[in-house]
This record gives sequence, C-alpha cells and structure tokens, in this order.
Amino acid sequence: MPQLTRRAPSALVVALAAALTLVGCGGSSNDDSSNDAGGDDSSARTLVVDASFDLKTADPGRQYETTGSIVTKALYETLLTFDGDDVTQPVDGLASYEMSDDDRVLTLTMNEGHTFSDGSEVTVDDAVFSLQRVQGMMGNPSFLLDGVTVEKTSDTTLTLTSDEPYPALPFILPNPTLSVLNQDVVEANGGSTDESDAAEAFLNGESAGSGPYILDSFDAASQVVFTANPEYSGEAPAYGRVVLRNVEGETQRLNVQAGESHIALDLNPDQVAQLDADSVNVIASASRFVIFLFLNQDDEVSTVTSDPDFLEAAKLAINYDSIVDLAGEGAVRPGGFIPSLFNGALDAGAGNQRDLDAAQAALDASGYSGEQVTLGFPNDITVQGMSLQSIAESVQAQLGEVGINVTLAPAPVATELDAYRGGTVEFGLWYWGPDFPDASNYLAFTPGELVGLRAGWTVDDDPTVADLAQAARVATGDDERATAYQELQVAQNASGPFIPLLQPAQNVATATSIESISLNPVWTIDLGKTR
Amino acid sequence: MAQDTSTTTATAPGGGGHPLARYLVVRAGITVLLLFGVTLTTFILTNLIPADPVQAVLGEQAAANPEIVAAYRERAGLDDPLPVQYFTYLSNVLQGDLGTSQQTRQPVADELGRAAPATIELALAAIVVSAVLGIGLGLWAALKRRTIIDQVIRLVSTVGISIPLFWLALVVYYVFFFQLGIFPGSGRLSPTLTPPPDVTGLYTVDSLLAGDLPAFWDALSHLVLPASVLGLYTVGLLTRFARSAVLEILDQDYVRAARAKGLPARTVVTRYVLRGSLVPIITVLGMAFGSLLSGTVLVEIIFSWNGIGQYSYAAATRLDLPAIMGVGLVVGMVYIGLNFIVDLLYGLIDPRVRVS
Repeated sequence: MPQLTRRAPSALVVALAAALTLVGCGGSSNDDSSNDAGGDDSSARTLVVDASFDLKTADPGRQYETTGSIVTKALYETLLTFDGDDVTQPVDGLASYEMSDDDRVLTLTMNEGHTFSDGSEVTVDDAVFSLQRVQGMMGNPSFLLDGVTVEKTSDTTLTLTSDEPYPALPFILPNPTLSVLNQDVVEANGGSTDESDAAEAFLNGESAGSGPYILDSFDAASQVVFTANPEYSGEAPAYGRVVLRNVEGETQRLNVQAGESHIALDLNPDQVAQLDADSVNVIASASRFVIFLFLNQDDEVSTVTSDPDFLEAAKLAINYDSIVDLAGEGAVRPGGFIPSLFNGALDAGAGNQRDLDAAQAALDASGYSGEQVTLGFPNDITVQGMSLQSIAESVQAQLGEVGINVTLAPAPVATELDAYRGGTVEFGLWYWGPDFPDASNYLAFTPGELVGLRAGWTVDDDPTVADLAQAARVATGDDERATAYQELQVAQNASGPFIPLLQPAQNVATATSIESISLNPVWTIDLGKTR
Repeated sequence: MAQDTSTTTATAPGGGGHPLARYLVVRAGITVLLLFGVTLTTFILTNLIPADPVQAVLGEQAAANPEIVAAYRERAGLDDPLPVQYFTYLSNVLQGDLGTSQQTRQPVADELGRAAPATIELALAAIVVSAVLGIGLGLWAALKRRTIIDQVIRLVSTVGISIPLFWLALVVYYVFFFQLGIFPGSGRLSPTLTPPPDVTGLYTVDSLLAGDLPAFWDALSHLVLPASVLGLYTVGLLTRFARSAVLEILDQDYVRAARAKGLPARTVVTRYVLRGSLVPIITVLGMAFGSLLSGTVLVEIIFSWNGIGQYSYAAATRLDLPAIMGVGLVVGMVYIGLNFIVDLLYGLIDPRVRVS
C-alpha cells in the first residue's frame, strides 16, 4: 500500500502515547511531596488520610460507623471524653461529671470557654438538646440513652437519670454520636428532638459544632474535606485542611509509601509487611474488635453443635496461638469476650487452651459420627483489613485434626447477617465491635441476651452464667465490676457457646513527616491531634 | 445527505407523516417500555435476595430494638406490600424522584448527579483512547495483513481482551504511579487542589471553563491511568473488529475500482475503506461503551474514582434498594440512548440503512 497507510496509524499511536506521557509528567502531583505540603504555615498545610469508608452521614446523632466517628470527632466535642487511647477512665470534655453512689444520676457541669464555629458559646441548652435529639430521632445510636432522662437542672448543669443503675454512662458519653451541636443552627435547619428531625441534609453540608475542624465538603462515597475551626478553644490543629479519602487497602499502602497520603488507616498484616520502614512508620496495636466462633445451642438448629461434649471438643481442638499468628503483629488473644483494652478483661492464659487428646475424648463422648458441620461467615468484609476467610480455613483444618468435618459457607454480609441475627446459623464466625468501652456492653454475650440468643443460648440452658451476668450488671466500683466480669467470662469460657479467637491488629501507617497521632478505640483517630 | 433523506421521505411507503418522526415516536415508546422493564427486573431481583435491608442498615443493638426497627421501616416505606412499594417508586420516578438512599438518607438523584459526571468523564476519555487506538491499530493490521506488524497487533489485541481488569488496574497503578511516579495516584484531583466550580461536573472541562490550568493538567493527569486501563479491553475488542471489517471491505469490487481509477491512497482508505467498515465498528463501539460502564466498578474502586461504579458497589453490598434501582435506571438509560445514537449513525454512514 502507499506511504500514507504505512505511516498514519503508527504515527497516531506514537503521538497518543507521547501525549499521555507528557500529561502524566506535566500534571503529576506525585512529585510535589504532599508530605510537607505547605511548609511551616499550618493554615496552608493539608493532611491527607486514606481510609476504607463505611460512611453514611456527618450528622453526629445519626452516624454509628467507624468512618462516621472519625468525621464527627473532628467536627464536634462531647461532654466527656477519653485521654488519648486510655478508655478505662472518662475525663472532662465540654463538662465535668459526678456519678451518684447508686449509679443512677449523672450530673454534668458545663465548663466555660467553649464556643461553636459561629462564635456562639456552648451552653447547657445545646447539650440537653443534642442528647434529647439522639434519643428522639430513633436512629441507630438512640439505644445508647435508652431509659435515660436528660434534664437541664441549672444554667450550667444537666442530669442524666436512669431507673436502673447505669455505671457505663460516663463511658458512653465520649462517643462522638453524643456530640454537642449548636441548637439554634440545627433547629433553624429542620432539627428537632423527635422523629420529625430533618437537619441531616444540612449537617451533611455544614457542621454546627465546636470541634477543631469545620466541614468543607462531604461525599459519603469518596471524600470528606475539613478546614480548621478558628473558634476552636483547644490547641489549634497542626493542619489547616484535612482530606479524608475513601481508598481500598492495597491502594492505601502504595499511597502512603509514595507520599501521596500521610496516613493509611486500614492495612492488613500482609500489606504492613510490604511497607518500607525507612519511609513509613507503622503503629500496630490490638484493635477493639473481637473475632469469635459460636456453636448454636438450639437443637432445632443443630443436634450436633448443641451437644455439650461436641462444644467442649471444639473449644479444645482450636489452636488459638496459631490463629493469632495468622493475624500478624499487634493482634492479641483475649482471655474472654471482653477485649484486652477494657476494664474486666481476662488474660489470654485464663482462656481455653488447645488439648487434642482431651478434645478427642470429648468428641468420642458426644457420639459424633462425622456429620458435616456448616461454618457460616461473611466473606465480603474485612475486620481491620483481615478477611474472615483465612480464619475460617484455619478453623476447618484444626477441627479436622480431631475428626470434625467442617464445611465452609461464606456469604455476602447482607445475606449472612439475616441468618446470624435470626439465630439460624449452626456454626458461625463473626466479630463484635463495642458500642462503648465498658464491660457491660458484653453482657449481650450471656444467656437470653442479644448475641446469646443468636447462638440459641437461653437462661434455662445456663442459669449459672445468667446469674453471674446479673451480678456483673449490678456491681459497682471499678474493682468490684472488674472481678464480676472476669468471673463471668471464666464461666462463659467453660460452658458457653462462644469461642473468642482474637483481636486483630489495628495497623496505622504514617509518613515520616507525621510526628504524632492520637488513636482511640472509640473514634479510631483524632484528626485534630495529628501533628 | 439532506437531499438523500428528503428523497426517501417522498417515496416512503405507508405514508402517515415524516418517516424520521414516526421512527422517533416508535423508539420513544420502546424506550419507555424498556425502562419500565429495567425498573421491574431490578426491583424483583433485589427483593429476591434473601436479606432484610433493615438488618443491613441498622447496627447490632438498633436492629434488636422493635421501636427503632418500626420507625425505620415506616420511614423507608418497607411496611407496604411489594407491589405497592414498586408502584410508589414508579410514580415517584415519573415525577423525577428516584427515592432516598436507605443508607445515606440523601436523594438518590442528587447522589447519582454527583457520581455520574465522574464516570462520564472517565468513560469518555476511555472511549476516545480506545476508539483512536482500536480503529487505528485495526486499520493498520488489516493494511499490513500477514506481516509481522499484523501478527503483533493481533497478539496485543488478544492480550488486551484477556487481561483481568482489576489485575491490570493494580499493576498499572503500581508501575506508573508507585514505581515510576509518572502519573498521580488516587482520586480525580490532587488533595491539595480545590475542585473547579461545578458547571458540567467534568473536572477537565470545568477547570478550563474557570481558566484554572493547573487544575486542568492535574485533572487530566489523574484521568490517564484509569482511562487507559478501562480503555485497554475496548482497544483489543475494537482492533479485532476493525481489522476484520477493513479486510472485508478491502476485497470489495468498489475498492478495487477506486484503486484502478488511480485515486490517491489517502482517498481510498478514508473515503472507501474506512467509511465502508464503520457500521460494524460503530456497533462494537456501542457495545464497548456498555462494557466500560460495567468495568468502571473495579477501576473506580482501585483508583478511588468517585463515580457510579464506586456508588453502585456500595449500594449493592449494603443492599440499598433505592440506590440500586437508581443505578439500574441510569445505566439502562445510557444503554438505550447509546443504541439509539448508534442506530442514527447507521443511517448517517450507510445510505442503504437510510433508504430501508
């Protein structure tokens, strides 16, 4: 063919490739080193944080997700808070507190000097309105203040009163969902203290808080941008602007390593192992999540798993250390269902231990004759970047060593959740993230309670553990409560259907330009304290 | 062209108005029926999933609280029988209301309005890259048939079709962003930059309209990697179709006649060969655009591209029925619209289609 046909298409291809490369080199932001973006002027510096979003809303009273807590913690303040990652003792926030001797009345006295981003003062009326709004909207977090009456008692004090002793209340109030909002602003934009509240759309566009940042833009699917709040009464944040982006785990690793982001919040152990320690710092610590197995005790669901000897055989056949090793550095094994971070936690040594001979004997006593036992678990979510699939495969292999035949039944969380909460799963692998950092949240794992019933475990099945649970519920004082919860867990380990396996590590990778970060099991990271 | 059309109009059998007008009316009717089918199918399939959206939305404690569950079900209209839910949805759609996301409680139309421009920008860039490369390579391979160039192009196109998109996206991200640092990483714009004022939602266009050249280059450079990954599959597909279409045309008598008349090669290729092979190429291009839309899910997740792909993934995993329905409707409209455009282009390119 003539010359044109030889040259034109090839020239086109080469020209296109050259143009693309030129665009890449010319427009790349990769070489502007966002690690030190803006130099020393804090107002010009941008902090880039990558996270795997489960974000739904920026309305504190409606959010109840990990990312939602990060967002609202940056925008708002709570009446009480925690100091750093220590969740064993609440400290003053917008208010100081005093609990009555019978643990029924919590009196909060507002501290002076806190202002909202519009310059108005934070008052006791704002606090009462905010808590009553959470109660009245009947949203996800409303249960936190179930049975609690919130009242203004003076111009500087309010009380939270419950009919039953509620010693966990001071531990609940630091939750960012119970943030204090500017009542005038919220009410002017549709806010109310009942189900008619319509302020969410406004709060997804603008914030009405007194936190270190104000909301610049919000997109629940992709990113949230914050700018510093000039009215913030605490120490001014080190970064004038923060971009919190929705980025999947592997991309987070590459971004933080390349300097595209400053902080990566959701790396699994394998990804952490691939990081270059010279350019990235890693903080690996036990997370608040407990991954556990349960065997259904309802014999209508399974005649195999409801057999006490079979249950014991399973507990004795699990290789707990090997499962924790699987989760990598920073993961720990809890001794019971309460995570190691909280008062009342048991040491790992007090938990069940592997004993294959004893497991075999228990299995023989159960009369088990090789029936398939189906292990259900969600396979499209990760817990701190860790897939439940790998744990399920380990469990299958370990139980197989004593002759228990396990069939894995992974399913999307949306469908598996139904079966799990409906109590129809024979053998399950799930996780629990605490609603608040207090041992009482784990009473859900006792007979006749929320999670206990999912495992077919009723009060009649185990009145001894039910009595211990009640004793723990009414115990007062840190030491007495800790002892009661530890006794409960020892009994639960012996006869209960739950097998706590591990707390996966929370791996946070930071660029070397980051001097310090403030992590916490309730709100993950305090962006305002990143230096 | 215009003369041809009017001739056709005058001689069209059956009468009853302008044929193009009749055609448009029929197509509009079919479009409405198709969209109705899309909503019905999506609604039925989503409700067949053995899962309760309430459980997917509410937390552990809230889902166990009957008052909270009742309030949520009432607010979301889940207490109504399924047919009532569907017809309520349909009547709202007719008024431009796609419902409210069960997860974010934001209007689905608003959310799709924010996500759609990102995907449109990505898909347009990908289709431009793939059309230029695919047609160019296919033409080149056909003109150089049975040479080493032909063999290499065919091999490359086969590889392009065969490579899993998510794997390619990760490799491209790793090599061109992480290792070589030629292109930027996640998102549509560097986090240090402020997005341009929203006019079209396409950052490249809006930044130009605002006269913000740094933002334009930044947006363009962010577009290159995901668009190239997305376009590569289509390049392979188009190359193969373009090659076979051109080969078929090259053997036609009218092409031989054109050559025999001594017409310049450029004229033979552009006016006779390329035009003659455009009908099958456009058909594939239309289909390829559909593939691009489905391919955006993985690419958008890996490149943190806040478009419809990322939105639909979140909607599906969280069982957010109104959002799933909204995505189905928008994607359905795009497909139908695209088919319509392709049909019109047939008439424009091939007089035989116009006459028929």
